[in-house]
Amino acid sequence: MTLVDAGLGNLASVERALIQVGSSTIVTNDPDLVATSRIVVFPGQGAFGDHTDQLVDGAMGEALRMVIQRGDPFLGICIGMQMLFEGSEEGGGRKGLGILPGRCRRFPDNMTVEEGDKTRRLKIPHMGWNEVRPSNEHYYFVHSYYVDAANSDDVMWSATYGDIDFAAAVRHENIFGCQFHPEKSQQAGLRFLRAFLLGSRQ
Amino acid sequence: MKRRIIPCLDVKNGRVVKGVHFKGLRDAGDPIEAARAYDRQGADELCLLDITATTEGRETFVEIVRSVAPQIFCPLTVGGGIRREDDVRRLLNAGADKVAINSAAVSSPPLIERLAKRYGSQAIVVAVDVRRMPALPRDEEPLYEVVIHGGSRGTGLEALRWCEQVAELGAGEILLTSMDKDGTRDGYDLWITREVARRVNIPVIASGGVGSLEHIRQGLALGEGEADAALAASIFHFGLYTIAQTKQYLTERGIPVRPPEGRRAA
Repeated sequence: MTLVDAGLGNLASVERALIQVGSSTIVTNDPDLVATSRIVVFPGQGAFGDHTDQLVDGAMGEALRMVIQRGDPFLGICIGMQMLFEGSEEGGGRKGLGILPGRCRRFPDNMTVEEGDKTRRLKIPHMGWNEVRPSNEHYYFVHSYYVDAANSDDVMWSATYGDIDFAAAVRHENIFGCQFHPEKSQQAGLRFLRAFLLGSRQ
Repeated sequence: MKRRIIPCLDVKNGRVVKGVHFKGLRDAGDPIEAARAYDRQGADELCLLDITATTEGRETFVEIVRSVAPQIFCPLTVGGGIRREDDVRRLLNAGADKVAINSAAVSSPPLIERLAKRYGSQAIVVAVDVRRMPALPRDEEPLYEVVIHGGSRGTGLEALRWCEQVAELGAGEILLTSMDKDGTRDGYDLWITREVARRVNIPVIASGGVGSLEHIRQGLALGEGEADAALAASIFHFGLYTIAQTKQYLTERGIPVRPPEGRRAA
């Protein structure tokens, strides 16, 4: 398994989680090595910006597209999932890899939720544990932008924050993505990574 | 969105202080063992605070972060004694997900903005320690001052205004500690917690004073503390309550929390 180091944050915890589920993992920022990998995990934190533009247009973007188009298992985590789509409102409007149709939008300000007989104002980022459907498992999320997938068949799991139903995890053939951080989601996260590892070739 | 329960370990010279008494731990004062135990119990997040005063102690703390991070699979916040950007970088590189800055943010508010731009708001927690000021005649509401150095030094900053400023500068969360309540086991200061939670659009972690599960409920409940997360130390350390018991208590009383996980094989 190849863990892509595209400068989008610290990879140590993702690497550690992959080792925990029994995967032998190499970490690389070399597009040639990525392009020839059999299973690719593309994690990311932070934000869309100049850096992601360079990634999309550069050799790494090319390598990621090659892996995906070849049909090899691919998992994008957080920004890594968002980048599978056409673009994001973040950073004044940025492009993604454009593999799946849809865009990333910002959660609206001043959303509220009813809790018992009281109303609670929701904070941004969406930070903490949330439940996904249909499994009812909880995962750890940290994001201000969410994937609005154009094709609902691509949405494997969804979650709700305030008024917004968003893609918690996506799947299209060999392409997987999760908005949550499996490496920070304790047992549920490790189970997700193991399922990707085992199920990705079926 | 579920409210988070965050056990906090105070670390001094490489050891957990305040007394940790887990069942079945080889070494109860070892922060690595304690962090692993909380992670397995299903803590939603962990906090390690360095309360060492010496430079050698600080080095030890970075080493501890480096040892704890690979052992746990939940978010890790670290803080205490962070003065420079370089300290932040070292702790994030050691595996922390978030760093909590306190005095350094007070002495240089632009530091918050710089750190948020560089590492993302989600990685920058601003710890705000507050103390209620003596009431004067004709006060309509209590006033709180921001204090630093463990509450020993006042800053002249009004707490609510400072929290708003911290959020505007790009902090991802506020860790709000009442110095009046800290260590009392008397419960959180609900007034200031609620006011801060209502004023800012970023998550607020309540801290200081928890002595019972009811205190945690109060800190999180709407109309009471309204915090997004509850931090507590001694009630978990002394083995009074497990994370699972805490979550069950809160669930039964209508506070949305992630259900406790089953036991993970060692």
